[in-house]
Amino acid sequence: MGNLSALLPLLLFMGAMIGIGFYVRREGSRSGTGFVKNYFIGNHNLGGFVLAMTTVATYSSVSSFVGGPGMAWQIGFGWIYMAVVQVTAIFLVLGVYGKRVALLSRRLDAVTVVDIIRARFNSDNLAALAAFIIVLFFCATMTAQFVGGAKLFSAVTGYSYEMGLLLFGLTVVLYTAIGGFRAVALTDTCCAIVMMVGIVLLLYYVLQAGGGYMAIMDNLHANHPEMFEPLSAGHMPLTLYLTQWILVGICTIALPQSVVRGISYKDTKGLHQAMLIGTVVVGFMNIGINFTGILAHGVLTGPLESYGGVDNIIPKTIITAMPPSLVGFAIIGPLAASISTISGLLIVASSAIIKDIYLHAKKSQGEKVSDKKLRLLSMAATGIIGVLVFAIAVTPPSLIWIINMFAFGGLETAFFWVLLLGLFWRKANKAGALLAMAGGTFIYILPMLGKILLLLTSAEWAAAFAEALNWSPFGLHRIVLGLTVSLVCFIIGAYKGKPTKEETLALFFPGK
Amino acid sequence: MNPKEKYRQICREAGATGLVLALIIVLWCVLGFGLSGSEVMVLGLPLWAVAGTVGIWLLAILLTFILVKFVFKDMALSKPFVKSDKE
Repeated sequence: MGNLSALLPLLLFMGAMIGIGFYVRREGSRSGTGFVKNYFIGNHNLGGFVLAMTTVATYSSVSSFVGGPGMAWQIGFGWIYMAVVQVTAIFLVLGVYGKRVALLSRRLDAVTVVDIIRARFNSDNLAALAAFIIVLFFCATMTAQFVGGAKLFSAVTGYSYEMGLLLFGLTVVLYTAIGGFRAVALTDTCCAIVMMVGIVLLLYYVLQAGGGYMAIMDNLHANHPEMFEPLSAGHMPLTLYLTQWILVGICTIALPQSVVRGISYKDTKGLHQAMLIGTVVVGFMNIGINFTGILAHGVLTGPLESYGGVDNIIPKTIITAMPPSLVGFAIIGPLAASISTISGLLIVASSAIIKDIYLHAKKSQGEKVSDKKLRLLSMAATGIIGVLVFAIAVTPPSLIWIINMFAFGGLETAFFWVLLLGLFWRKANKAGALLAMAGGTFIYILPMLGKILLLLTSAEWAAAFAEALNWSPFGLHRIVLGLTVSLVCFIIGAYKGKPTKEETLALFFPGK
Repeated sequence: MNPKEKYRQICREAGATGLVLALIIVLWCVLGFGLSGSEVMVLGLPLWAVAGTVGIWLLAILLTFILVKFVFKDMALSKPFVKSDKE
Protein backbone atom coordinates (compact mmCIF):
# COMPACT_ATOMS: atom_id res chain seq x y z
CA MET A 1 0.00 0.00 0.00
CA GLY A 2 1.22 3.46 -0.83
CA ASN A 3 1.87 6.44 1.35
CA LEU A 4 -1.42 8.38 1.35
CA SER A 5 0.05 11.53 2.88
CA ALA A 6 2.49 11.65 -0.02
CA LEU A 7 -0.39 11.74 -2.46
CA LEU A 8 -2.36 14.64 -1.04
CA PRO A 9 0.02 17.55 -1.77
CA LEU A 10 0.52 16.13 -5.24
CA LEU A 11 -3.22 15.95 -5.90
CA LEU A 12 -3.63 19.52 -4.73
CA PHE A 13 -0.81 20.73 -6.95
CA MET A 14 -2.12 18.91 -10.02
CA GLY A 15 -5.61 20.23 -9.29
CA ALA A 16 -4.24 23.77 -9.19
CA MET A 17 -2.52 23.26 -12.55
CA ILE A 18 -5.77 22.14 -14.16
CA GLY A 19 -7.47 25.13 -12.55
CA ILE A 20 -4.98 27.42 -14.28
CA GLY A 21 -5.80 25.73 -17.58
CA PHE A 22 -9.51 26.46 -17.22
CA TYR A 23 -8.90 29.99 -15.92
CA VAL A 24 -6.71 30.88 -18.91
CA ARG A 25 -9.30 29.47 -21.30
CA ARG A 26 -12.02 31.67 -19.83
CA GLU A 27 -9.82 34.75 -19.97
CA GLY A 28 -8.76 33.93 -23.52
CA SER A 29 -12.28 33.55 -24.85
CA ARG A 30 -12.97 37.08 -23.61
CA SER A 31 -9.93 38.70 -25.20
CA GLY A 32 -11.43 38.67 -28.68
CA THR A 33 -8.14 38.26 -30.58
CA GLY A 34 -7.47 35.53 -33.15
CA PHE A 35 -7.57 32.05 -31.74
CA VAL A 36 -4.35 30.68 -33.21
CA LYS A 37 -2.21 33.50 -31.88
CA ASN A 38 -3.86 33.23 -28.52
CA TYR A 39 -3.65 29.47 -28.21
CA PHE A 40 -0.16 28.83 -29.54
CA ILE A 41 1.71 31.91 -28.39
CA GLY A 42 -0.36 33.54 -25.64
CA ASN A 43 -1.00 36.62 -27.76
CA HIS A 44 2.50 38.14 -27.30
CA ASN A 45 1.64 38.91 -23.72
CA LEU A 46 4.22 37.38 -21.34
CA GLY A 47 6.01 39.53 -18.77
CA GLY A 48 9.67 39.16 -17.85
CA PHE A 49 9.23 36.93 -14.81
CA VAL A 50 6.91 34.44 -16.51
CA LEU A 51 9.09 34.42 -19.64
CA ALA A 52 12.15 33.55 -17.54
CA MET A 53 10.35 30.84 -15.60
CA THR A 54 8.75 29.16 -18.59
CA THR A 55 12.03 29.14 -20.51
CA VAL A 56 13.89 27.60 -17.58
CA ALA A 57 11.14 25.12 -16.68
CA THR A 58 10.78 23.82 -20.22
CA TYR A 59 14.53 23.49 -20.46
CA SER A 60 14.99 21.72 -17.08
CA SER A 61 13.71 18.19 -17.44
CA VAL A 62 13.07 15.35 -15.03
CA SER A 63 16.56 14.04 -15.76
CA SER A 64 18.10 17.25 -14.41
CA PHE A 65 16.31 16.38 -11.17
CA VAL A 66 16.82 12.62 -10.95
CA GLY A 67 19.53 11.20 -13.24
CA GLY A 68 21.78 14.29 -12.98
CA PRO A 69 22.12 14.49 -9.20
CA GLY A 70 22.46 10.70 -9.13
CA MET A 71 25.53 11.12 -11.32
CA ALA A 72 26.78 13.90 -9.02
CA TRP A 73 26.49 11.43 -6.13
CA GLN A 74 28.76 9.08 -8.02
CA ILE A 75 31.22 11.52 -9.61
CA GLY A 76 31.46 14.50 -7.28
CA PHE A 77 32.18 18.15 -7.95
CA GLY A 78 33.27 17.52 -11.53
CA TRP A 79 29.61 16.86 -12.27
CA ILE A 80 28.50 20.25 -10.91
CA TYR A 81 31.38 21.90 -12.76
CA MET A 82 29.99 20.33 -15.92
CA ALA A 83 26.34 21.09 -15.14
CA VAL A 84 27.09 24.76 -14.53
CA VAL A 85 27.71 25.31 -18.27
CA GLN A 86 23.92 25.49 -18.47
CA VAL A 87 23.94 28.96 -16.87
CA THR A 88 24.66 30.20 -20.39
CA ALA A 89 21.54 28.62 -21.91
CA ILE A 90 18.94 31.25 -21.01
CA PHE A 91 20.77 34.52 -21.69
CA LEU A 92 22.12 33.06 -24.93
CA VAL A 93 18.84 32.03 -26.51
CA LEU A 94 17.01 35.17 -25.37
CA GLY A 95 19.96 37.46 -26.13
CA VAL A 96 20.62 36.13 -29.62
CA TYR A 97 17.08 35.38 -30.83
CA GLY A 98 14.77 37.14 -28.37
CA LYS A 99 14.30 40.40 -30.26
CA ARG A 100 14.99 39.03 -33.71
CA VAL A 101 12.08 36.58 -33.63
CA ALA A 102 9.85 38.97 -31.67
CA LEU A 103 10.05 41.60 -34.42
CA LEU A 104 9.88 39.10 -37.27
CA SER A 105 6.90 37.24 -35.85
CA ARG A 106 4.92 40.47 -35.64
CA ARG A 107 5.94 41.53 -39.10
CA LEU A 108 5.24 38.16 -40.71
CA ASP A 109 2.28 37.38 -38.48
CA ALA A 110 4.19 34.24 -37.51
CA VAL A 111 3.23 32.07 -34.56
CA THR A 112 5.83 29.31 -34.75
CA VAL A 113 9.55 29.01 -35.42
CA VAL A 114 8.66 26.99 -38.52
CA ASP A 115 6.56 29.93 -39.79
CA ILE A 116 9.66 32.11 -39.65
CA ILE A 117 11.83 29.48 -41.34
CA ARG A 118 9.24 29.02 -44.10
CA ALA A 119 9.11 32.76 -44.75
CA ARG A 120 12.87 33.23 -44.65
CA PHE A 121 13.67 30.49 -47.16
CA ASN A 122 10.39 30.47 -49.15
CA SER A 123 10.31 26.71 -48.85
CA ASP A 124 7.38 24.51 -47.96
CA ASN A 125 9.58 21.42 -48.10
CA LEU A 126 11.94 22.85 -45.53
CA ALA A 127 8.99 23.79 -43.31
CA ALA A 128 7.52 20.30 -43.62
CA LEU A 129 10.86 18.70 -42.79
CA ALA A 130 11.25 20.99 -39.76
CA ALA A 131 7.75 20.17 -38.54
CA PHE A 132 8.40 16.45 -38.98
CA ILE A 133 11.67 16.61 -37.03
CA ILE A 134 9.95 18.55 -34.26
CA VAL A 135 7.05 16.12 -33.91
CA LEU A 136 9.22 12.98 -34.06
CA PHE A 137 11.82 14.07 -31.52
CA PHE A 138 9.38 15.86 -29.24
CA CYS A 139 7.21 12.76 -28.95
CA ALA A 140 10.21 10.63 -27.96
CA THR A 141 11.36 13.24 -25.43
CA MET A 142 7.89 13.55 -23.94
CA THR A 143 7.65 9.79 -23.51
CA ALA A 144 10.94 9.79 -21.63
CA GLN A 145 9.65 12.58 -19.38
CA PHE A 146 6.46 10.65 -18.66
CA VAL A 147 8.40 7.49 -17.83
CA GLY A 148 10.94 9.33 -15.65
CA GLY A 149 8.22 11.07 -13.67
CA ALA A 150 6.08 7.97 -13.21
CA LYS A 151 9.05 5.84 -12.11
CA LEU A 152 10.01 8.44 -9.52
CA PHE A 153 6.41 8.62 -8.34
CA SER A 154 6.11 4.89 -7.80
CA ALA A 155 9.55 4.56 -6.17
CA VAL A 156 8.83 7.28 -3.64
CA THR A 157 5.13 6.91 -2.86
CA GLY A 158 4.75 3.15 -3.18
CA TYR A 159 1.82 3.51 -5.56
CA SER A 160 1.97 1.93 -9.00
CA TYR A 161 3.75 3.33 -12.05
CA GLU A 162 0.47 3.42 -13.98
CA MET A 163 -1.23 5.42 -11.28
CA GLY A 164 1.55 8.00 -11.32
CA LEU A 165 1.31 8.21 -15.06
CA LEU A 166 -2.45 8.69 -14.88
CA LEU A 167 -2.21 11.29 -12.16
CA PHE A 168 0.31 13.70 -13.61
CA GLY A 169 0.22 12.55 -17.23
CA LEU A 170 -3.44 13.26 -17.76
CA THR A 171 -3.08 16.49 -15.80
CA VAL A 172 -0.48 17.91 -18.13
CA VAL A 173 -2.29 16.81 -21.28
CA LEU A 174 -5.53 18.29 -19.98
CA TYR A 175 -4.27 21.72 -18.99
CA THR A 176 -2.13 22.11 -22.10
CA ALA A 177 -5.00 21.15 -24.41
CA ILE A 178 -7.47 23.42 -22.66
CA GLY A 179 -5.38 26.48 -21.94
CA GLY A 180 -2.77 26.47 -24.71
CA PHE A 181 0.49 28.37 -24.50
CA ARG A 182 -0.57 30.82 -21.84
CA ALA A 183 -1.57 27.99 -19.51
CA VAL A 184 1.77 26.34 -20.27
CA ALA A 185 3.64 29.53 -19.35
CA LEU A 186 1.73 30.09 -16.11
CA THR A 187 1.91 26.47 -14.95
CA ASP A 188 5.61 26.45 -15.89
CA THR A 189 6.09 29.40 -13.57
CA CYS A 190 4.43 27.52 -10.70
CA CYS A 191 6.51 24.46 -11.58
CA ALA A 192 9.78 26.40 -11.54
CA ILE A 193 8.92 27.82 -8.14
CA VAL A 194 8.08 24.44 -6.61
CA MET A 195 11.22 22.98 -8.16
CA MET A 196 13.30 25.54 -6.28
CA VAL A 197 11.37 25.02 -3.06
CA GLY A 198 11.78 21.26 -3.49
CA ILE A 199 15.55 21.61 -3.84
CA VAL A 200 15.84 23.72 -0.69
CA LEU A 201 13.62 21.32 1.24
CA LEU A 202 15.56 18.26 0.19
CA LEU A 203 18.90 19.98 0.83
CA TYR A 204 17.81 20.86 4.36
CA TYR A 205 16.73 17.33 5.23
CA VAL A 206 19.77 15.73 3.61
CA LEU A 207 22.02 17.94 5.74
CA GLN A 208 20.02 17.02 8.84
CA ALA A 209 20.01 13.31 8.17
CA GLY A 210 23.68 13.29 7.20
CA GLY A 211 24.80 14.82 10.51
CA GLY A 212 25.57 18.32 9.20
CA TYR A 213 27.59 19.77 6.34
CA MET A 214 31.04 19.38 7.89
CA ALA A 215 30.47 15.77 8.92
CA ILE A 216 29.43 14.85 5.37
CA MET A 217 32.43 16.69 3.87
CA ASP A 218 34.91 15.07 6.26
CA ASN A 219 33.54 11.67 5.35
CA LEU A 220 33.81 12.46 1.62
CA HIS A 221 37.40 13.69 1.96
CA ALA A 222 38.31 10.52 3.82
CA ASN A 223 36.49 7.98 1.64
CA HIS A 224 36.05 9.57 -1.79
CA PRO A 225 38.97 11.96 -2.40
CA GLU A 226 38.51 11.64 -6.19
CA MET A 227 35.18 13.47 -5.91
CA PHE A 228 37.14 16.67 -5.28
CA GLU A 229 39.09 16.45 -8.55
CA PRO A 230 37.69 17.87 -11.81
CA LEU A 231 38.47 14.69 -13.72
CA SER A 232 37.25 12.51 -10.83
CA ALA A 233 40.03 9.92 -11.29
CA GLY A 234 39.02 9.37 -14.90
CA HIS A 235 35.23 9.26 -14.40
CA MET A 236 34.91 12.69 -16.03
CA PRO A 237 37.05 12.72 -19.20
CA LEU A 238 37.82 16.03 -20.90
CA THR A 239 35.82 14.99 -23.97
CA LEU A 240 32.71 14.80 -21.80
CA TYR A 241 33.21 18.40 -20.68
CA LEU A 242 33.60 19.47 -24.30
CA THR A 243 30.49 17.54 -25.32
CA GLN A 244 28.44 19.13 -22.58
CA TRP A 245 29.49 22.63 -23.60
CA ILE A 246 28.23 21.93 -27.09
CA LEU A 247 25.18 19.82 -26.28
CA VAL A 248 23.66 21.48 -23.20
CA GLY A 249 25.38 24.86 -23.44
CA ILE A 250 25.94 26.54 -26.79
CA CYS A 251 23.66 24.56 -29.10
CA THR A 252 20.61 24.81 -26.87
CA ILE A 253 19.99 28.18 -28.55
CA ALA A 254 18.70 26.19 -31.51
CA LEU A 255 15.98 24.28 -29.64
CA PRO A 256 12.64 25.32 -31.18
CA GLN A 257 10.86 25.06 -27.82
CA SER A 258 13.26 27.72 -26.47
CA VAL A 259 13.34 29.97 -29.54
CA VAL A 260 9.52 30.09 -29.73
CA ARG A 261 9.55 31.86 -26.38
CA GLY A 262 11.05 34.85 -28.15
CA ILE A 263 7.73 35.23 -29.98
CA SER A 264 5.70 35.16 -26.80
CA TYR A 265 6.75 38.11 -24.68
CA LYS A 266 5.25 41.57 -24.51
CA ASP A 267 8.06 44.13 -24.52
CA THR A 268 11.85 44.35 -24.54
CA LYS A 269 11.97 45.38 -20.91
CA GLY A 270 10.49 41.99 -20.04
CA LEU A 271 13.03 40.25 -22.25
CA HIS A 272 15.93 41.95 -20.47
CA GLN A 273 14.49 41.04 -17.08
CA ALA A 274 13.97 37.45 -18.21
CA MET A 275 17.61 37.07 -19.28
CA LEU A 276 18.72 38.08 -15.81
CA ILE A 277 16.11 36.17 -13.81
CA GLY A 278 16.51 33.09 -16.01
CA THR A 279 20.26 33.01 -15.46
CA VAL A 280 19.82 33.31 -11.69
CA VAL A 281 17.21 30.52 -11.62
CA VAL A 282 18.89 28.06 -13.96
CA GLY A 283 22.15 28.34 -11.98
CA PHE A 284 20.40 27.95 -8.67
CA MET A 285 18.63 24.81 -9.84
CA ASN A 286 21.62 23.17 -11.46
CA ILE A 287 24.05 23.85 -8.65
CA GLY A 288 21.47 23.25 -5.92
CA ILE A 289 20.17 19.90 -7.05
CA ASN A 290 23.57 18.46 -8.01
CA PHE A 291 25.13 19.67 -4.77
CA THR A 292 22.30 17.96 -2.92
CA GLY A 293 23.15 14.82 -4.89
CA ILE A 294 26.72 14.93 -3.60
CA LEU A 295 25.62 15.60 -0.02
CA ALA A 296 23.33 12.58 -0.24
CA HIS A 297 26.45 10.58 0.59
CA GLY A 298 25.61 11.48 4.17
CA VAL A 299 22.33 9.57 3.77
CA LEU A 300 23.22 6.77 1.35
CA THR A 301 26.54 5.38 2.53
CA GLY A 302 26.60 2.08 0.62
CA PRO A 303 28.12 1.38 -2.79
CA LEU A 304 26.18 2.34 -5.93
CA GLU A 305 25.23 -1.27 -6.72
CA SER A 306 23.30 -1.58 -3.47
CA TYR A 307 20.93 1.13 -4.69
CA GLY A 308 20.51 -0.28 -8.19
CA GLY A 309 21.96 2.50 -10.34
CA VAL A 310 22.27 6.29 -10.35
CA ASP A 311 18.61 6.86 -11.24
CA ASN A 312 17.61 5.45 -7.85
CA ILE A 313 19.84 7.75 -5.79
CA ILE A 314 17.43 10.68 -5.55
CA PRO A 315 14.27 8.57 -4.89
CA LYS A 316 16.13 6.63 -2.17
CA THR A 317 17.46 9.87 -0.70
CA ILE A 318 13.97 11.35 -0.53
CA ILE A 319 12.57 8.28 1.23
CA THR A 320 15.49 8.01 3.66
CA ALA A 321 16.05 11.65 4.55
CA MET A 322 12.58 13.18 4.49
CA PRO A 323 9.88 12.72 7.14
CA PRO A 324 7.03 10.69 5.56
CA SER A 325 4.61 13.59 5.88
CA LEU A 326 6.83 15.77 3.65
CA VAL A 327 7.66 13.20 0.99
CA GLY A 328 4.71 14.43 -1.06
CA PHE A 329 6.18 17.92 -1.22
CA ALA A 330 9.63 16.64 -2.12
CA ILE A 331 8.44 14.80 -5.23
CA ILE A 332 6.37 17.70 -6.53
CA GLY A 333 9.68 19.32 -7.57
CA PRO A 334 10.90 16.58 -9.93
CA LEU A 335 7.38 15.90 -11.20
CA ALA A 336 7.00 19.63 -11.90
CA ALA A 337 10.22 19.45 -13.91
CA SER A 338 8.70 16.62 -15.88
CA ILE A 339 5.29 18.17 -16.61
CA SER A 340 6.71 21.60 -17.42
CA THR A 341 8.93 20.07 -20.09
CA ILE A 342 6.08 17.95 -21.47
CA SER A 343 3.68 20.90 -21.69
CA GLY A 344 6.24 23.08 -23.48
CA LEU A 345 6.95 20.38 -26.06
CA LEU A 346 3.32 19.37 -26.43
CA ILE A 347 2.10 22.82 -27.39
CA VAL A 348 4.91 23.27 -29.93
CA ALA A 349 4.29 19.80 -31.42
CA SER A 350 0.61 20.63 -31.70
CA SER A 351 1.36 23.98 -33.35
CA ALA A 352 3.59 22.18 -35.84
CA ILE A 353 0.68 20.01 -36.92
CA ILE A 354 -2.11 22.59 -36.84
CA LYS A 355 -0.33 25.77 -37.87
CA ASP A 356 2.62 24.55 -39.90
CA ILE A 357 0.97 21.68 -41.75
CA TYR A 358 -2.84 21.86 -41.62
CA LEU A 359 -3.45 25.60 -41.75
CA HIS A 360 -0.74 26.11 -44.31
CA ALA A 361 -2.27 23.47 -46.58
CA LYS A 362 -5.70 25.11 -46.25
CA LYS A 363 -4.27 28.53 -46.95
CA SER A 364 -2.47 27.44 -50.08
CA GLN A 365 -5.75 25.92 -51.32
CA GLY A 366 -7.34 29.27 -50.62
CA GLU A 367 -9.73 27.86 -48.01
CA LYS A 368 -10.54 29.75 -44.85
CA VAL A 369 -10.98 27.90 -41.58
CA SER A 370 -13.42 29.31 -39.07
CA ASP A 371 -12.18 30.24 -35.61
CA LYS A 372 -14.58 27.79 -34.05
CA LYS A 373 -13.31 24.90 -36.10
CA LEU A 374 -9.69 25.88 -35.41
CA ARG A 375 -10.37 25.97 -31.72
CA LEU A 376 -11.73 22.45 -31.81
CA LEU A 377 -8.97 21.12 -34.05
CA SER A 378 -6.16 22.71 -32.03
CA MET A 379 -7.42 21.33 -28.76
CA ALA A 380 -8.02 17.96 -30.37
CA ALA A 381 -4.48 17.90 -31.84
CA THR A 382 -2.91 18.75 -28.48
CA GLY A 383 -5.08 16.19 -26.72
CA ILE A 384 -4.45 13.44 -29.26
CA ILE A 385 -0.65 13.87 -29.31
CA GLY A 386 -0.68 13.99 -25.52
CA VAL A 387 -2.80 10.88 -25.12
CA LEU A 388 -0.80 9.05 -27.76
CA VAL A 389 2.49 9.77 -25.99
CA PHE A 390 0.83 8.87 -22.71
CA ALA A 391 -0.27 5.51 -24.13
CA ILE A 392 3.24 4.82 -25.42
CA ALA A 393 4.64 5.62 -21.97
CA VAL A 394 2.56 2.86 -20.34
CA THR A 395 4.81 0.25 -21.94
CA PRO A 396 7.46 2.15 -23.88
CA PRO A 397 8.88 0.13 -26.80
CA SER A 398 12.66 -0.01 -27.35
CA LEU A 399 12.20 2.07 -30.48
CA ILE A 400 11.22 5.10 -28.39
CA TRP A 401 14.38 4.85 -26.27
CA ILE A 402 16.52 4.71 -29.37
CA ILE A 403 14.84 7.83 -30.82
CA ASN A 404 15.00 9.61 -27.47
CA MET A 405 18.77 9.10 -27.29
CA PHE A 406 19.12 11.15 -30.46
CA ALA A 407 16.32 13.67 -29.88
CA PHE A 408 18.16 16.49 -28.12
CA GLY A 409 21.20 16.50 -30.41
CA GLY A 410 19.03 15.84 -33.44
CA LEU A 411 16.95 18.95 -32.85
CA GLU A 412 20.09 21.00 -32.28
CA THR A 413 21.74 19.72 -35.45
CA ALA A 414 18.60 20.35 -37.50
CA PHE A 415 18.02 23.92 -36.35
CA PHE A 416 21.40 25.33 -35.31
CA TRP A 417 22.74 26.71 -38.59
CA VAL A 418 19.34 27.10 -40.22
CA LEU A 419 18.31 29.57 -37.52
CA LEU A 420 21.64 31.23 -36.82
CA LEU A 421 22.71 31.76 -40.41
CA GLY A 422 19.17 32.16 -41.68
CA LEU A 423 18.44 35.05 -39.37
CA PHE A 424 21.81 36.80 -39.45
CA TRP A 425 23.33 36.09 -42.85
CA ARG A 426 21.89 37.60 -46.04
CA LYS A 427 23.51 35.01 -48.27
CA ALA A 428 21.78 32.13 -46.50
CA ASN A 429 19.37 30.58 -49.02
CA LYS A 430 16.86 27.81 -49.53
CA ALA A 431 19.31 25.31 -51.02
CA GLY A 432 21.75 25.76 -48.15
CA ALA A 433 19.10 25.50 -45.47
CA LEU A 434 17.50 22.39 -46.99
CA LEU A 435 20.85 20.67 -47.41
CA ALA A 436 21.97 21.68 -43.92
CA MET A 437 18.84 20.49 -42.15
CA ALA A 438 18.47 17.26 -44.10
CA GLY A 439 22.17 16.42 -44.43
CA GLY A 440 23.26 17.32 -40.93
CA THR A 441 20.37 15.59 -39.24
CA PHE A 442 20.76 12.52 -41.43
CA ILE A 443 24.44 12.18 -40.57
CA TYR A 444 23.68 12.76 -36.92
CA ILE A 445 20.97 10.09 -36.72
CA LEU A 446 22.76 7.43 -38.79
CA PRO A 447 23.64 5.46 -35.64
CA MET A 448 19.97 5.68 -34.67
CA LEU A 449 18.95 4.14 -37.99
CA GLY A 450 21.55 1.43 -37.45
CA LYS A 451 20.15 0.64 -34.03
CA ILE A 452 16.59 0.54 -35.36
CA LEU A 453 17.67 -1.82 -38.13
CA LEU A 454 19.30 -4.04 -35.53
CA LEU A 455 16.16 -3.94 -33.44
CA LEU A 456 14.03 -5.01 -36.40
CA THR A 457 16.24 -7.76 -37.80
CA SER A 458 18.54 -8.69 -34.88
CA ALA A 459 20.81 -10.20 -37.53
CA GLU A 460 24.57 -10.40 -37.23
CA TRP A 461 25.25 -8.24 -40.27
CA ALA A 462 22.95 -5.57 -38.80
CA ALA A 463 25.00 -5.52 -35.61
CA ALA A 464 28.21 -5.01 -37.56
CA PHE A 465 26.51 -2.35 -39.69
CA ALA A 466 25.16 -0.51 -36.65
CA GLU A 467 28.63 -0.59 -35.12
CA ALA A 468 30.16 0.92 -38.26
CA LEU A 469 27.54 3.70 -38.37
CA ASN A 470 28.46 4.64 -34.84
CA TRP A 471 31.83 5.99 -35.91
CA SER A 472 32.72 9.52 -34.86
CA PRO A 473 36.01 11.42 -35.31
CA PHE A 474 38.37 11.44 -32.29
CA GLY A 475 35.72 9.76 -30.17
CA LEU A 476 33.90 13.10 -29.92
CA HIS A 477 30.16 13.24 -29.49
CA ARG A 478 28.29 12.63 -32.68
CA ILE A 479 26.85 16.16 -32.67
CA VAL A 480 30.26 17.56 -33.65
CA LEU A 481 30.06 15.56 -36.86
CA GLY A 482 26.41 16.48 -37.42
CA LEU A 483 27.04 20.22 -36.98
CA THR A 484 30.13 20.18 -39.18
CA VAL A 485 28.35 18.39 -42.02
CA SER A 486 25.37 20.71 -41.63
CA LEU A 487 27.57 23.81 -41.85
CA VAL A 488 29.45 22.56 -44.90
CA CYS A 489 26.13 21.73 -46.61
CA PHE A 490 24.80 25.18 -45.77
CA ILE A 491 27.78 26.99 -47.23
CA ILE A 492 27.86 24.87 -50.38
CA GLY A 493 24.14 25.52 -50.87
CA ALA A 494 24.57 29.23 -50.25
CA TYR A 495 27.24 29.62 -52.91
CA LYS A 496 25.96 27.12 -55.47
CA GLY A 497 22.20 27.57 -55.09
CA LYS A 498 19.89 30.37 -56.16
CA PRO A 499 20.06 33.48 -53.94
CA THR A 500 17.00 34.45 -51.92
CA LYS A 501 14.43 36.77 -53.55
CA GLU A 502 14.95 40.48 -52.93
CA GLU A 503 11.44 40.91 -51.43
CA THR A 504 12.20 38.30 -48.82
CA LEU A 505 15.56 39.80 -47.99
CA ALA A 506 13.96 43.22 -47.62
CA LEU A 507 11.58 41.74 -45.05
CA PHE A 508 14.32 40.08 -43.06
CA PHE A 509 17.19 42.52 -43.49
CA PRO A 510 15.72 46.00 -43.58
CA GLY A 511 17.60 48.79 -45.27
CA LYS A 512 20.64 47.41 -46.98
CA MET B 1 14.42 53.50 -34.02
CA ASN B 2 13.65 52.75 -37.64
CA PRO B 3 13.78 49.16 -38.94
CA LYS B 4 17.34 49.49 -40.11
CA GLU B 5 18.54 50.81 -36.78
CA LYS B 6 16.63 48.09 -34.98
CA TYR B 7 18.28 45.41 -37.06
CA ARG B 8 21.71 46.93 -36.48
CA GLN B 9 21.06 47.10 -32.75
CA ILE B 10 19.85 43.48 -32.68
CA CYS B 11 23.01 42.33 -34.44
CA ARG B 12 25.11 44.29 -31.96
CA GLU B 13 23.25 42.68 -29.06
CA ALA B 14 23.56 39.18 -30.51
CA GLY B 15 27.28 39.72 -31.05
CA ALA B 16 27.77 41.00 -27.51
CA THR B 17 25.87 37.96 -26.19
CA GLY B 18 28.25 35.74 -28.14
CA LEU B 19 31.24 37.59 -26.67
CA VAL B 20 29.89 37.05 -23.16
CA LEU B 21 29.58 33.34 -23.94
CA ALA B 22 33.21 33.25 -25.10
CA LEU B 23 34.29 35.11 -21.97
CA ILE B 24 32.40 32.68 -19.73
CA ILE B 25 34.01 29.71 -21.47
CA VAL B 26 37.46 31.19 -20.80
CA LEU B 27 36.60 32.04 -17.19
CA TRP B 28 35.16 28.55 -16.71
CA CYS B 29 38.45 26.99 -17.82
CA VAL B 30 40.54 29.34 -15.67
CA LEU B 31 38.44 29.15 -12.51
CA GLY B 32 37.90 25.39 -12.72
CA PHE B 33 40.76 23.52 -14.37
CA GLY B 34 43.12 26.46 -13.81
CA LEU B 35 42.62 26.45 -10.05
CA SER B 36 42.45 22.67 -9.63
CA GLY B 37 46.05 22.54 -8.40
CA SER B 38 45.42 25.04 -5.59
CA GLU B 39 45.58 23.81 -2.00
CA VAL B 40 43.24 26.54 -0.75
CA MET B 41 40.04 25.24 0.85
CA VAL B 42 36.75 27.13 1.04
CA LEU B 43 34.03 25.70 3.29
CA GLY B 44 35.69 22.31 3.19
CA LEU B 45 35.91 22.36 -0.61
CA PRO B 46 38.90 22.87 -2.89
CA LEU B 47 38.98 26.36 -4.41
CA TRP B 48 38.21 25.19 -7.99
CA ALA B 49 35.04 23.40 -6.87
CA VAL B 50 33.65 26.70 -5.57
CA ALA B 51 35.07 29.14 -8.14
CA GLY B 52 34.27 26.87 -11.09
CA THR B 53 30.63 26.37 -10.06
CA VAL B 54 29.13 29.06 -7.82
CA GLY B 55 31.79 31.51 -9.06
CA ILE B 56 30.83 30.94 -12.70
CA TRP B 57 27.17 31.28 -11.86
CA LEU B 58 27.70 34.63 -10.14
CA LEU B 59 29.90 35.86 -12.99
CA ALA B 60 27.25 34.82 -15.52
CA ILE B 61 24.68 36.84 -13.58
CA LEU B 62 27.02 39.84 -13.43
CA LEU B 63 27.85 39.67 -17.14
CA THR B 64 24.18 39.28 -18.10
CA PHE B 65 23.43 42.31 -15.96
CA ILE B 66 26.10 44.31 -17.78
CA LEU B 67 24.68 43.12 -21.12
CA VAL B 68 21.10 44.15 -20.47
CA LYS B 69 22.11 47.36 -18.70
CA PHE B 70 24.68 48.73 -21.11
CA VAL B 71 24.39 46.94 -24.45
CA PHE B 72 20.75 46.02 -24.84
CA LYS B 73 18.33 48.81 -25.69
CA ASP B 74 14.58 49.02 -25.39
CA MET B 75 12.71 49.15 -28.67
CA ALA B 76 9.08 49.11 -29.70
CA LEU B 77 7.86 45.69 -30.81
CA SER B 78 4.18 46.36 -31.26
CA LYS B 79 4.44 48.09 -34.64
CA PRO B 80 7.90 47.04 -35.60
CA PHE B 81 8.42 47.60 -39.29
CA VAL B 82 5.11 49.21 -40.14
CA LYS B 83 6.63 51.26 -42.89
CA SER B 84 9.96 50.11 -44.10
CA ASP B 85 11.59 51.89 -47.00
CA LYS B 86 10.30 49.20 -49.34
CA GLU B 87 6.65 49.51 -48.45
